[in-house]
Amino acid sequence: MNPQRNPSEERLLAYAAGTLSPPEAVVMAAHLAMRPANDAWVRDLQAVGGEFLDEATPSALSQDALALAMARIETDAGEVKALAPLNDMPELPEPLRRYALSPWRWVGPGMRVRDVHAPRDGDCRVILLKIESGRETPKHTHGGIELTCVISGAYATETERFDVGDFEEADTEVLHQPRVVSDEPCLCVVALDGQIQLDGWIGKLIQPFVRL
Amino acid sequence: MHVETLPFTSNPCRSPRMKTLDNPSDPLLHDRLIESIALRRDREAFAALFAYFAPRLKAWLIKSGATPGAAEDFAQDAMLTVWRKADLFDSSKARAATWIFTIARNRRLDMLRRDARPLPTPEIELAGEDVRRPDELLSMSQDADRVRDALSRLSPDHVEVLRLAFFMDSSHSEIAKHLDLPLGTVKSRIRNAMTKLRLILAPAEEAAR
Repeated sequence: MNPQRNPSEERLLAYAAGTLSPPEAVVMAAHLAMRPANDAWVRDLQAVGGEFLDEATPSALSQDALALAMARIETDAGEVKALAPLNDMPELPEPLRRYALSPWRWVGPGMRVRDVHAPRDGDCRVILLKIESGRETPKHTHGGIELTCVISGAYATETERFDVGDFEEADTEVLHQPRVVSDEPCLCVVALDGQIQLDGWIGKLIQPFVRL
Repeated sequence: MHVETLPFTSNPCRSPRMKTLDNPSDPLLHDRLIESIALRRDREAFAALFAYFAPRLKAWLIKSGATPGAAEDFAQDAMLTVWRKADLFDSSKARAATWIFTIARNRRLDMLRRDARPLPTPEIELAGEDVRRPDELLSMSQDADRVRDALSRLSPDHVEVLRLAFFMDSSHSEIAKHLDLPLGTVKSRIRNAMTKLRLILAPAEEAAR
């Protein structure tokens, strides 16, 4: 049994506090849906947030604030928010089911990608990445933080193995070449910030064609 | 306040209820107010809840860098969401402050979304259709006390750094600047605070990790 790969405490805290960027929060939500122990911990952290809110020194509101609030609830017609339809991938964890998905596109031998139409944050966006068994991505570093959660299958980097539900944080320091080690393809949800930077001369050569 | 013009009873800020709000002797008062909104669309309950939480939500946003005007708009919007979603509140899962915090945090996340595309989002981690075992529910009903108790057992330094992580728009470097400490110290202090909190809250779970 491999040790579980969990998000760092800092990132769990940032998620609970609502300060993760939206694409990162999407990957985290998927992870928490697959890892109940971390989900429980995040709920505890949100209770910490509740405590802090409770203890906060109030800021005076403007004079008509209460009247305005009461007027708003009097005229409130509820929220106009149709639930987005489920997408076509029932194998995704629940938090990902209502995001629209682009068609699959080929990005390399045995590698396909779908865009997850979740909110972007600057250059940071969410993708689904499916890599066939035995394939590896080109060796690369990142223009920014890359968060990955494994939905099915497993991959390994030079030093670690990531199984279903596992969460990897890679920053610009990490140069890695994940390889799929499961018999089935490996499906991941990834928050990607900036373009990945391919390593080596072949990488540099094909870099312009590989836009994830 | 111009509450005289409103269609309900007397000024809620002078009602006896408000006294207990400022110094809550009944720890479940806020939970009951939300339940009363859910059951009866109780406007008086909403006014009381608003009087307590809106100024705190405003304070939070100001600390995280919003202008007072924007912070107050945020508090208004968050409280309107509380009104709309009151029937989703489940006091066995979270106490009122945590629930309102979570609503506000989700709104804040929405606000941070620079992309204005309408959200096909399942609201992240709000009370939803999660499936929990009954024994789990039982333990969660004690969460409020557990967490409050755990916080009281952390050192003041640890509590402060956690509070800043929640309430400043918290890159660790901003926290470091605020505390006038090296970044490395802040990072390890946050990590230590989290470790302690985990040990206090879930010794068994920690051992299993």
